[in-house]
Amino acid sequence: MRSYLLHRLWQSAVTLVLATIVVFLGVRALPGDPALAFAGEERDPASLAAIRERLGLNDSLVVQYGKFVLGALRGDLGTSTRTGIPVSTMIGTGLPVTIELSLLALLVAIVLGVTTGVVAAVRRGRPAEWFANALALLGLSVPNFWLGLIAILYLAVGLGLFPASGFVPFGEDPVANLHHLVLPALVLGTGIAAIVMRQTRSAMLESLGADYIRTARAKGASPRAVIGRHALRNSLVVVVTVVGLQLGILISGAVVTERIFGLPGFGKMTIDAVFQRDYPVIQGVVLVTAAAYILINFLVDVAYSLIDPRIRVAGGQS
Amino acid sequence: MTATEIVTPPAPDPGATPPRRRAALRRLRRSPLGIAGFAVLAVAVLASVLAPVLAPYSPAQVHFDAPFQIPGTVGFALGTDDLGRDVLSRILFGLRASLEVGVLAVALALVVGVPLGLAAGYFRALDAVISRFTDLMLAFPFLLLAVGLAAIRGPSLGNAALALGISQIPGMIRVVRSETFRLKNLDFVAASLVDGASDVWVLGRHVLPNALSAVIVQATVAIPQAIIGESVLSFLGLGIQPPDPSLGTMLADAQQYAAQAPWTAVVPGLAIMLVALAFNLFGDALRDALDPRSSR
Amino acid sequence: MGLSLIARRIRGRGAAALAIALAAAVAVGCAPVQQAAGPAAAPATDSFGTPADPAAVQQGGTLVMALSAEPDMLDPTQSRSLYSRYVFQTMCEKLYDLDQNTRIVPQLATALPTISPDGLTVTIPLREGVRFADGTPMDAQAVVTTFQRNLTMAGSGRKSELGPITSVEAQGASSVVLHLSAPFAPLTSALADRAGMIMSPAALQQLGDKFGTAPVCVGPFKFEKRVAQNSIDVVRDPNYYDAAKVHLDRITYRIITDASIRAANLQSGDAQVADTLSTQDVPALRTAAGIQVLQSNSLGYQGITFNVGNVSGLGNPVGDVGTPLSRDPRVRRAFELAVDRQGLVQAVFGGLYTPTCSPISPDTEFTSDAAQACPPHDPAAARALLQEAGVPVPYKITMIATNTPDVLRLAQALQATVADGGFDLQIQPVEYSALLDQQDRGDFEMLQLGWSGRIDPDNNITNYLSTDGGQNVAGYSDAALDALLTRARTSTDQAERVRLYGEAVTAIHAADPIVYLYRIRNFTGVTAKVSGVQVFPDGVVRLAFAGLTR
Repeated sequence: MRSYLLHRLWQSAVTLVLATIVVFLGVRALPGDPALAFAGEERDPASLAAIRERLGLNDSLVVQYGKFVLGALRGDLGTSTRTGIPVSTMIGTGLPVTIELSLLALLVAIVLGVTTGVVAAVRRGRPAEWFANALALLGLSVPNFWLGLIAILYLAVGLGLFPASGFVPFGEDPVANLHHLVLPALVLGTGIAAIVMRQTRSAMLESLGADYIRTARAKGASPRAVIGRHALRNSLVVVVTVVGLQLGILISGAVVTERIFGLPGFGKMTIDAVFQRDYPVIQGVVLVTAAAYILINFLVDVAYSLIDPRIRVAGGQS
Repeated sequence: MTATEIVTPPAPDPGATPPRRRAALRRLRRSPLGIAGFAVLAVAVLASVLAPVLAPYSPAQVHFDAPFQIPGTVGFALGTDDLGRDVLSRILFGLRASLEVGVLAVALALVVGVPLGLAAGYFRALDAVISRFTDLMLAFPFLLLAVGLAAIRGPSLGNAALALGISQIPGMIRVVRSETFRLKNLDFVAASLVDGASDVWVLGRHVLPNALSAVIVQATVAIPQAIIGESVLSFLGLGIQPPDPSLGTMLADAQQYAAQAPWTAVVPGLAIMLVALAFNLFGDALRDALDPRSSR
Repeated sequence: MGLSLIARRIRGRGAAALAIALAAAVAVGCAPVQQAAGPAAAPATDSFGTPADPAAVQQGGTLVMALSAEPDMLDPTQSRSLYSRYVFQTMCEKLYDLDQNTRIVPQLATALPTISPDGLTVTIPLREGVRFADGTPMDAQAVVTTFQRNLTMAGSGRKSELGPITSVEAQGASSVVLHLSAPFAPLTSALADRAGMIMSPAALQQLGDKFGTAPVCVGPFKFEKRVAQNSIDVVRDPNYYDAAKVHLDRITYRIITDASIRAANLQSGDAQVADTLSTQDVPALRTAAGIQVLQSNSLGYQGITFNVGNVSGLGNPVGDVGTPLSRDPRVRRAFELAVDRQGLVQAVFGGLYTPTCSPISPDTEFTSDAAQACPPHDPAAARALLQEAGVPVPYKITMIATNTPDVLRLAQALQATVADGGFDLQIQPVEYSALLDQQDRGDFEMLQLGWSGRIDPDNNITNYLSTDGGQNVAGYSDAALDALLTRARTSTDQAERVRLYGEAVTAIHAADPIVYLYRIRNFTGVTAKVSGVQVFPDGVVRLAFAGLTR
């Protein structure tokens, strides 16, 4: 177990370093320089040069990367070229929004997905299964931003059930906070729910057909116990993996959802930073995203090995 | 968004003989939903190919005197948008752009992902490198890549397809890798190796043909994802550029006046949904047909 | 498992899916939320808002303004974005301000500057007994510190606005003298903008170039906190010299970049003020109960810039681009004639914006008949000119434009209107940062971009069209125009300046390096809950002395 974990840790570290290099070079390959993007319509050659100097853009790439890495190791990600706000502060306010949104969306996805998946597997051939399948297919076929627009149009502006946009921090007013996040979480969660549903269904079908379930049934276990304790538990392995894999989607999906609902999250911050060529912010957010992705995958692997001890034995090749 | 769905691997298929494929085809023909999906797709492809003939107007033709005509207006079966352009004509041409993006993106994912997946699954030494590469790609938010590409090369249909294709590569690699890994350990492949067959020959003769089902199924899942992905990119202003329409740009444009003219948002939204649904239905039927086991 | 079973399972699944899809389609498609606004727009009348009636507003309370873009650094020296001025309005007063007729009036100064006959010495008398938000006194020395920072700080956005100032000195505690190397008429108007905001020397000492993280100036309100991409809060400043005029306790600027969502917040009452309303939303908001829409023309313009001589990038000598468009003014003239400004503004902005042919705002005292002269829309003449110039008709040109929805709508409408005049316009959308890069490098044939505008015409023309202009991306060079602009800038006689700028516009129309298209109008929504919000043609939303109605 330990050597497996160490191996995974090492792999994660390599991925992280690669990600920072890719992003560091990537942002510098973009046309348009940060000084120009900052100065906008109020620019003149002299002050552009001064801004470039201030941003350290005249240093060689190696020096710039060195500064970035050294700073990052000390927890200093620099300041936004546009607003002058420290990147760590920006991440500190943006990340919790995105994490809360993602967790709520995952909750929606898991509750919806696992329930409909179990129903579809258990009630095979009945209307309930058709309905569950239809929902899943629809979930896979509708662009989530469109769903968001329609939701704003009809549920927020039309019926006034939810705020159309904006955000209230949880610490300030928990009820208002959740009220603002209901629609975004539903919109972001439904697409993922469809995937979770399909995985749950096929995993459940597989488990229900397995020998040990037949044995449990033969021993007279109640159907509820068979489904809940045996089949579902085993199917969860698959679900955990799928949820782990959806993180990339969650983050990209959060960008669009945050943009539509005007949430001051991490995803919106990233896109805005790219448009504004705000190098320190882009570098900071990608570093944190990559670290989060890697950490979560690592945790998924660990969770996986806890749910199913055979994985540990299998080691690297899975 | 570009979901990476894990596809249930089809059963091992030592023979990969034509009769088995024919059986699959027969099963597919008996699946009404698969046929319905296929029919919708056929109509969509035909309509987009024939768009220049079918469309009453050029998709960029503006009618400043007739903005926001409701569907059913004489001359504008599906109404007009803010600049008085015919929604029906734009849908036909938009469909074409969306399908192109979907197919191009998945073609790219196939061209890059299949060889890498085969190599990773077959040669243990390469696996570490390739898997690091896939991890890296998955850790990197795909939207950032799309934004970057749009900035460097200008937003366009081709670049949207490129970004979406690249984002599909890791999923494709994973599917092919796990298939290859599984097939490699099967008796008939091992036997072939013992007989002195070269690695390349084994990959080409045994592994690839047997992994093909999984690849095809993955592709049918990936195309609708790419079509939806295109609409997301267009929504962010990174997709195909005006005056050429795609279903996604139409949706993005419609956002501003969705309250005033809901049909401008609803019609392209439905078109995306129908095409994606058709692909998914067809893909499901195809999977069931190729792999009778999965439909116990 | 028989095949029929599979078939049945799948059939059921899909049928349900289709049924749901259709149900959704019907529900969504057949219920417009609100009626489409009629195409006929009310004629544009300015409405600047009125000062608050002290008897009608309550003391205290919080006002929420939906702000359309995130301000950049809240540092008057370093700021480059228009939107920071909205926030500065409540917390950083200036030496001078504008009134609603865009005339310059004293704010922290007590009178307009005294200018020596040779135009080289400018004396500014200051208000006495004024304190910064940190309690330190605002005196002549503090003003000198601010000037020096604006003139010398690396990356200062104000240096070029201040012109040829050579030195600044305090004369006693309440007057400041500026020495110039050449007369510079636009100086006073610059002091009515960010260059005139006085910063606390104590705070500058402490924060240095991070002043923008906790700015301290003189203002009715003072900075409290900023949450990146979400909000900025200012609270009433007890040290303010005219505190009796201030009614509110707090103003929250909430950043909401989507225009339709700003409108929705206004309607739901979540915000009481929203700037830069979309022309799509204005007709409905105007008729909505409890909402007032303030409006005025912007001082800036939107237009088309041709690449006339920018061959090797901004700041390098101009050269020959080599295309008929760059060489032959007749081709550019043809384009000017081919544009149907009225039709364009009607189609894209519902007729709510104002067509223009001039860089000089008709709302300022610099306007004249010559400055507002406009070539007529005449597609036949455009075609004839193209033929005369000997270019193939339709003549193909490529325009770069930002990839934002409004600009792209404009570009497509433009494409359609100039087709009649013999132009085959290709649109090449690029992202804003890339567009700036491309235009500075001279890598374009024609581009669409605007300028937010300033009061003094010099700021609206010289930078863009004089040979050495900091933003002469057109690569335009005309000695006669340069001479006109220099005379106009150094003249201190208003009537002469008006005449010279009229001549400058005539000269610009003769060569058409820039084709001016329209002015946006500043639409600001205000709910009946507040009183005293004002917006003048500089576009800045003035909230400082507003109050919640009783």
